Amino acid sequence: MNEKLESRLRAALRPVAPRDEFTRDLIARVAADRRSSFDARSAHGRRPRARGWWLSAGMAASLLVAAGIQHRLQERHERERGLEARREVIEALRVTSQKLNLVYEVIKNQSSSPADDKPGV
Amino acid sequence: MRSCSLRIFLALLAPTLAWAAPNPRLALPEFAALAQKATESVTITLDAALLAIAGRFLDGNDPQDAAAKEVLKGLQGIYVRSYTFDKDSAYQQADIDAVRNQLSAPGWSRLVETRSRKSQANIDIYIMVTNDQATGLALIASEPRQFTIVNIVGAIDLDKLHKLEGQFGVPKLDIDLPKTASPNTKK
Repeated sequence: MNEKLESRLRAALRPVAPRDEFTRDLIARVAADRRSSFDARSAHGRRPRARGWWLSAGMAASLLVAAGIQHRLQERHERERGLEARREVIEALRVTSQKLNLVYEVIKNQSSSPADDKPGV
Repeated sequence: MRSCSLRIFLALLAPTLAWAAPNPRLALPEFAALAQKATESVTITLDAALLAIAGRFLDGNDPQDAAAKEVLKGLQGIYVRSYTFDKDSAYQQADIDAVRNQLSAPGWSRLVETRSRKSQANIDIYIMVTNDQATGLALIASEPRQFTIVNIVGAIDLDKLHKLEGQFGVPKLDIDLPKTASPNTKK
């Protein structure tokens, strides 16, 4: 009984030689697995770093552009203010000189027609 | 302890003395109602900072600008209110009197008073002299259809104002101006 069982088991579990393609397929699969795990690791590690760099560079460029625009606007504002102040100075002196001119006219006319004008200096 | 008390006393006294010192700047009203009625109005408020900015934009090679630059030296402010109307008596004498009253304050003295029947123009020029130096000038001109108030604050060199002749249509004034020291001229 025991011998029969043993011979049946041996028959069922006898060593079988693998197919010819088995080794080749196995090597190919291991290589594929290694490649995919390497890609996944590199993608996981490199992308955020690259994204961070671009973000910093973008922010720095934006800041530079904003500072440049601000400087130009301030310069333009200062220039406009200066030109306006200059125009006002010229206008103020023009008004003052116009009135001084009138004073002069009155003083000048005093000698010709003293009854008309009354200057007091 | 004694010097400390003296310092505190002087510190407390300083604002009072500053307040008591004659102020060459007049409190010019805005004349908003008159500006609305006027056909032409000039409102100029130039303090020391704006005069400094204006000075940077005046071209020394241009005769008019060069003359203006010379006049600006030592000035701390120029204030102008001028209104022109299309009919007579559009403004009240009280409008001018509010400013004229300020010129009765100590420090101010009338330099020129002109009354022209022909042009009906009344022009008064007041000057404030502090330590032999003209520190303020006020001009009030009232005509039937125009009134103008000019207030110049700072070390005014009247000789330079004289030299504006030909630049802004200012003739040479043959009047005896008080001798005032220019900040740039040696005594």
